[in-house]
Amino acid sequence: MDTANAKIYHNDSAILGKKGDLKNKTVAKRRKKTSIGDKIFTVCNTIFMILFVLITLYPVLNTLAISFNDGTDALRGGIYLIPRKFTLKNYVTVMQKDNLITGAYITVLRTLIGTFLSLATNAILAYIVSRKEFIFRKQLSLFWVVTMYVNGGLIPTFLLYKNLHLTNSFWVYVIPGTISAFNMLVIRTYMNGISESLTEAAQLDGAGYTTIFLKVISPLCKPVYATIALFVAVYQWNSWFDAMLYNRMSDNLTTLQYELMKLLSSVTNQGTSAEAMKNAMGTVTPTSVRAAATIITMLPIICIYPFLQNYFVAGLTLGGVKE
Amino acid sequence: MKKKALSLLLSMVVVASTVACGSSSGTDSTEGTETSEGEVAGASKEADADSSEVKEFTAFFAVPGSEINDDNEIQQMIAEKTGVKVKETWLTGQTAEEAVGTLIAGGEYPDFIDGGDGMMQLYEAGALVPLDDYLDSYPNIKAYYTEQEWDKLRQDDGHIYWMNQFQNIKGEDTTCTHNDEAFWIQTRVLEWAGYPEVKTMDQYFDLIESYNEANPTMEDGTENIPYTILCDDWRYFCLENAPEFLDGYPNDGSVIVDPEELKVIDYNTTDTAVAYFKKLNEEYQKGIVDPESFTQTYDEYIAKLSTGRVLGMIDQWWDFAFTAGDAIKSAGLDEQGCMYVPLPITISEDVQNQWHNSGGVLNVASGLAVTTSCEDVEGALQFIDDLLGQEVHNLRFWGVEGVDYEVDDDGIFYRTEEERTNAADTAYKASHICTYSYFPQWLGTSDDGINANMPSDQPNEYYDSLADTVKECLSAYGAQTYVDMLGTNEAPGPWYPMYSYSNNLTTSTDAGVAWNLMGEVKHEYLPKVVMAEDFDSAWAEYMEAYNACNPQDFIDAMQVELERRVEEAAKFAE
Amino acid sequence: MKTKIDLNTIKKQKTLLLWGGAITIYGVIFYYLPLAGWLMAFQNYKPKDGLLHSQFIGMDKFIRLFSDATFLKVIRNTLGMGVINLVATFVMAILFAILLNEVRNVFGKRVVQTISYLPHFLSWIIVTGILHDALSGTGIINELLMKFGFVDQGINFFAHTQYFWPIVAFANVWKETGWNAIIYLAAITSIDPALYEAAAIDGAGRWGKIRHVTLPGIKPTIIILLLMNVGNVLNAGFEIQYLLGNGLVQSVSQTIDIYVLKWGISQSDYSIGTAAGIFKSVVSIILIVIANQIAKRSGEERLF
Repeated sequence: MDTANAKIYHNDSAILGKKGDLKNKTVAKRRKKTSIGDKIFTVCNTIFMILFVLITLYPVLNTLAISFNDGTDALRGGIYLIPRKFTLKNYVTVMQKDNLITGAYITVLRTLIGTFLSLATNAILAYIVSRKEFIFRKQLSLFWVVTMYVNGGLIPTFLLYKNLHLTNSFWVYVIPGTISAFNMLVIRTYMNGISESLTEAAQLDGAGYTTIFLKVISPLCKPVYATIALFVAVYQWNSWFDAMLYNRMSDNLTTLQYELMKLLSSVTNQGTSAEAMKNAMGTVTPTSVRAAATIITMLPIICIYPFLQNYFVAGLTLGGVKE
Repeated sequence: MKKKALSLLLSMVVVASTVACGSSSGTDSTEGTETSEGEVAGASKEADADSSEVKEFTAFFAVPGSEINDDNEIQQMIAEKTGVKVKETWLTGQTAEEAVGTLIAGGEYPDFIDGGDGMMQLYEAGALVPLDDYLDSYPNIKAYYTEQEWDKLRQDDGHIYWMNQFQNIKGEDTTCTHNDEAFWIQTRVLEWAGYPEVKTMDQYFDLIESYNEANPTMEDGTENIPYTILCDDWRYFCLENAPEFLDGYPNDGSVIVDPEELKVIDYNTTDTAVAYFKKLNEEYQKGIVDPESFTQTYDEYIAKLSTGRVLGMIDQWWDFAFTAGDAIKSAGLDEQGCMYVPLPITISEDVQNQWHNSGGVLNVASGLAVTTSCEDVEGALQFIDDLLGQEVHNLRFWGVEGVDYEVDDDGIFYRTEEERTNAADTAYKASHICTYSYFPQWLGTSDDGINANMPSDQPNEYYDSLADTVKECLSAYGAQTYVDMLGTNEAPGPWYPMYSYSNNLTTSTDAGVAWNLMGEVKHEYLPKVVMAEDFDSAWAEYMEAYNACNPQDFIDAMQVELERRVEEAAKFAE
Repeated sequence: MKTKIDLNTIKKQKTLLLWGGAITIYGVIFYYLPLAGWLMAFQNYKPKDGLLHSQFIGMDKFIRLFSDATFLKVIRNTLGMGVINLVATFVMAILFAILLNEVRNVFGKRVVQTISYLPHFLSWIIVTGILHDALSGTGIINELLMKFGFVDQGINFFAHTQYFWPIVAFANVWKETGWNAIIYLAAITSIDPALYEAAAIDGAGRWGKIRHVTLPGIKPTIIILLLMNVGNVLNAGFEIQYLLGNGLVQSVSQTIDIYVLKWGISQSDYSIGTAAGIFKSVVSIILIVIANQIAKRSGEERLF
């Protein structure tokens, strides 16, 4: 029943309008009833949102509090929202890390270039496989879907990059992994939702595939492009494993996150042995430094986010029509 | 809109191509990497200008460690003295085996390497330079080990490829800290009881019980935790390996070696093991053992210790001293007697304890090696040799006189409070101190005969850093140091320590599979045994699961290795 | 709708073919070429010998895996956690996106949305640390339970196997709901506002609009993400189980990835890890194909 109804709404809102006119009386009645329901809904929804915010904000505030707390003191635990022994030293420790400026520079660069390349290629691919008439549509989709679930492993990948001369090079950050089937499919789904009539009209005007992609489809895809750009940018911003694996010996190609990881993993809980710990003799990176590093990483993204958010929240506001 | 996008793209391409140029020139030569980037170039060019003679080596250590800054001051001084600077990198976010595996696949190595748990892989891959022929030309390296010790480092092809860097004593053994495992107890417990003799496990728990009954809380009203057990991942040694010590054997790590019969004994199934776990079970039922013992993480454990609530536990000194120990001190809790001292606990009074061993330990399983990618093997070895010279060695571990340490009228080194704080500061260490910590180093006394090679082994320096309550406690037992609390023992025999063999076992052998499985079973069942309402049936269940792992496969392999080691040593004695 | 492949169509679709071809070459190089590494699973791979010279041993590694009772248990754990996580995170993200869409206050909406995705940036070690705190014997959860009289004594949540999977699922929901909701929020923007007006005129209340407009509007996105995630149920994770687990619950906490680390990587046995990886890939692809077929039958959006 529901889906049937939905189809009616989606396929032909004009007819619905008429139907609505016919039913005016009942609608008025129903409105009164539902408005109480609406109120309950609003109250419940508000409570839910407040709870949700509290639950998700807590870990962040907790991390913030620990980042401003003296490291040795923080070991004792029991810090919740307010630092017990305030200090800026954790931030100083992080900021004093060697190569941080180089790392930040490379990270910004890879984020910009990587996001642009990735968005462009994923959008193009999504466009290609969203064309219903494309002869290899199914095969190309399958080809990319499979890549999500197969993985040759660390060593073969390393050898490949080495033979392609991608190691000790900036390009290893942006060239492999540019196209991701996941991102592509999200864009494709969005493109599929765009009405055929627009494309057909453009085709009648003599527009080719490129023009339709750039002039018709892409402008409509801004929200999904913004989403994917955010995903890729965050991925690029947080990456460090590639820097460690492929550019370990090139200090000039280090990334911000790799430098922070080096700082943090100088002694971690994981994967080390008693022998290594014994010989490390007290080189401990306290939790509070980890917290400071986390906050520093988050900041730029929090700053940029509201601008990207415009793309989906603007749409959001339209969605919840006033009555 | 279109213009904007285009100009953005263009500017990106421009920036990107500069980077590309920079990096491609960087790949050509290892020395070139520093100067290729625009922003860093200015700074490092200057440095290059006045140290143009300095050779640069690279090193990778497959263990976690902290990097030092490029402009590190002492590194610079060492470079001036030796003409060599080593760029060190450490394990990050990978296991040692993984990191070494990729290096081997790539076929390019740094000049120096310590593969950690992946050392054997490097050897098998032919990545290491045999050192035997070189040794005679480098007196400091040669003297680093005795002939017999060098012999132990030979691989099955008869060559020596690496030297272990640690636990090697020169001159006199001045070890003050018991940097190992023990039953620890807070000084306030001992003080309350009038510093009694505590020698057996039963006495230890009786003392903790009666103290806790009399003083259930700390001064501020926080409830005490009488005894906790750390059980997080590989740190579960705090639970599992006590039986070997309780029976009066040293830390062979995986088995007991009977020194008379030269026989390997499994410590997991001895009567002492049963008695120990039964005791823990009783104490657990009484509420003495922390109910969160088996679920707490390392961080939570350290947090508990740091609040001073925990009266006693088994642990290795290095596992809590630099974290919880420092926190206790900085909160002033040491004045309340919350610092820990070790006790010489065994299963019964007639068993002599061997918690502490003197004379250093040679772990042959890993060490520092020079790789086949190193173009200047002589230069690399010369550098190791130089690092072992007393002057450079002092620079590495004591630092700069007048800055990091002082010398009194008798020539004794000491540190002021400020210098001590600096030495522990992360940022200061990164910019100033350079110990080349995974290069060979000496413990014991220095060539001048009066100072220790390491500040932590300098008796006056050590004693000054102790809290008053600890000093009082030590003197009540007629002890000066933690080592005195336990007494010391010579290394038991040429096989010691057996863990250097078991650590390298892989699952390609039956023994390795058994060893791995035993670990899994113990991890799961030992907590159950301690928490069980009916100890005997829980123990029986554990034994059933344990025996299903074929522990005999492992024991047999250890026996073979033991005999091999004894034979090797005997050959040498002739 | 099948298109015939003739010269004319090829000419017409020249642009698509060119771009598609270039992208395929890229895909072959970066995604399919490294699969040569799968050979390792049939070898006794040693880094010194490389892929070309290691000794071939056939299916030995697979046989070893599947004759090991632990591995079977590990598959069960991975599947169990994978399915619970999938359902929990999926439902929560959609629910959150839809409810957020219903918030009238624009400022409030923006603030909630901004805060909701923040936990995504915290590492697991931080999140699990907080979770451990909250669930400890004296933690807030136990305090609440005792205050409201559900229990007399604090529950040691991490000591009992039955709590482990739900805790993992909760942690995933906590960390990722806001982040995962972003895709749905973007999808909601594509819904034609006229549909809401029409529904309103038809007398639909808030629930009615959600059911008849919002949900159908984002259905294609939901289906596609569901299909993709079905293939990921064997990737239930590594870090979180590793950080939250302990000896007492290891029989339910170990996943395939942890098993591979323990018995493969940390033993320098690359072959066993590769074999497990191939197993995961095969299962994923089978699941995907089945799910895709179901989607096709019911006339929904599909992957290929």
